[in-house]
Amino acid sequence: MTIRGRLTWWYAGILLVSSALLTAWWVDELGEERTKVAGVAENGGWSRVLAATLWCGIPVAVLAVTGGWWMMCKALAPIAALTEAAGQIQEHNLRERLPRSGNGDELDRLTEVFNGMTGRLAQSFQRVREFTLHASHELKTPLTVMHGQLETALRDPASPAEHRELLHSQLEEVQRLTRIVDGLTLLAKADAGQVALACAPVRLDELVREAHADALILAQPRQIDVALRQLDPVTLAGDHDRLRQLLLNLSDNAIKYNHARGQVTIDLRARARDAELTIANTGPGIAPEILPRVFDRFFRGDAERYGWTEGCGLGLSIAQWIVTAHGGEIRIDSTPETTTVVTVRLPQCAA
Amino acid sequence: MRILVVEDEKKTASFIRKALQSESFAVDVLHDGNEALAAAGSSPFDAIVLDVMLPGRDGLSVLRRLRERNIATPVLVLSARGDVSERVEGLNAGADDYLAKPFELAELVARLRALGRRGTEPRPVVLRVADLTLDTITRQAKRGAHVIDLAAREYRLLEFLMRSAGRICGRMAILEKVWDYHFDPGTNIVDVYIMRLREKIDAEFEPKLLHTARGVGYVLKEPA
Repeated sequence: MTIRGRLTWWYAGILLVSSALLTAWWVDELGEERTKVAGVAENGGWSRVLAATLWCGIPVAVLAVTGGWWMMCKALAPIAALTEAAGQIQEHNLRERLPRSGNGDELDRLTEVFNGMTGRLAQSFQRVREFTLHASHELKTPLTVMHGQLETALRDPASPAEHRELLHSQLEEVQRLTRIVDGLTLLAKADAGQVALACAPVRLDELVREAHADALILAQPRQIDVALRQLDPVTLAGDHDRLRQLLLNLSDNAIKYNHARGQVTIDLRARARDAELTIANTGPGIAPEILPRVFDRFFRGDAERYGWTEGCGLGLSIAQWIVTAHGGEIRIDSTPETTTVVTVRLPQCAA
Repeated sequence: MRILVVEDEKKTASFIRKALQSESFAVDVLHDGNEALAAAGSSPFDAIVLDVMLPGRDGLSVLRRLRERNIATPVLVLSARGDVSERVEGLNAGADDYLAKPFELAELVARLRALGRRGTEPRPVVLRVADLTLDTITRQAKRGAHVIDLAAREYRLLEFLMRSAGRICGRMAILEKVWDYHFDPGTNIVDVYIMRLREKIDAEFEPKLLHTARGVGYVLKEPA
């Protein structure tokens, strides 16, 4: 039962009991007066009391319930509004404030406290974003120095073979770290709204054809078959480079997270308002319990289990950002040991 | 070639100097924007390596002033930000090339050489390394008399490697010139293409021409 319902019933009950007591007292007083005056005992005094109680009580009760209901609705409406508004608050609109009544009552005070809380939350989100952005930026200078010095050391033909091996291995790790920092910088900037995307007509089908050609080559070493089944002509308003990055990233994933001699199928369908791209593979799939987390940054699931360690753990987060920045959506469905399907929907340009 | 390196981070400046000197460039290093502007205006350099973040006066402002004074020395901008908008900003300010930090030294050297050669190098129609030839008009590759079949992307890759024959081509430079990517796509696509190209031009032939500069890139050259 809601607070509103409970309060209404209590209120009605109290009214009813008090009106019954009042009526009983009134009839009793009246009866005594009459007995004094007439000197005879009144018969049926109590049935009159009952009748009077009913006659007065029923309208009072009806009035009390409806009046109470109305009153409670009125009193609790700001809470309902507050609940609704609080439900709308997401990470991206933390800066929005709930409207205050300004009359200084309890609810107004609650709204004020609530606004203060979301304000503090917004600030800490902002601080985390700035921290990531600054951290990734600050990491670039030492990485540049390390990369340069390792390369310089490797240029020295006199250095012994075991040293060179060590330097090579370090250089590869520095490059891996560089990729992570680059990915992190991109996402941190995207979070802060600092990445400007181009918005020009892009022939998505041409990009898909090109990605397919690259995928064929990428798939060869592991004898994976990459099939382009359907390719409808699609024109989007978007960022040519980022869309290429998206396609290469998704097809690379479909190949990387696949069994040797497996299959990848790519389809691009033009639909009424959007374009639907699906990339399916015959990989080991993703367990249902980790599926909701695959877009999380640095989430690697059970990649290690299959010895997939080369990625930086940011590929799908970046893919998701590219899709949402184009006003589209991306989802992954997976049946373990059978197939994993990535579906991307992107709004089409008006033709 | 005489190069002016403007970089305030001492360690970075130091390894750039070493690397360029080992490639027999003459190198001057400055750490401040205003000094750089004065130096570039008064003595002739063949190219300038310019960091964006500098004390005194930032790199892009130095660049704009140089161009305003009609000093056309080729400038390669170095930047830690490395996004597309800054790249465009740099090129608009009059930069001839742009390199995002962290960069590969081999990459920097290759780009500086390209800047120095700009416009002066003949562009031969038929490229040749040992008995490997590439006709840029008929788009035909041959090893000796044997014709090699190349897909479009493989052709562009081979053309780029042959035009820079003898010099290391970094992965980023290959991605930029062959794929037109200005960001790291996070895949090993370059390595896979190189592997395929190697199968086509090197597997059944001697001597081997396509070599790996491990951790840095690839180089197409005749063995010494």
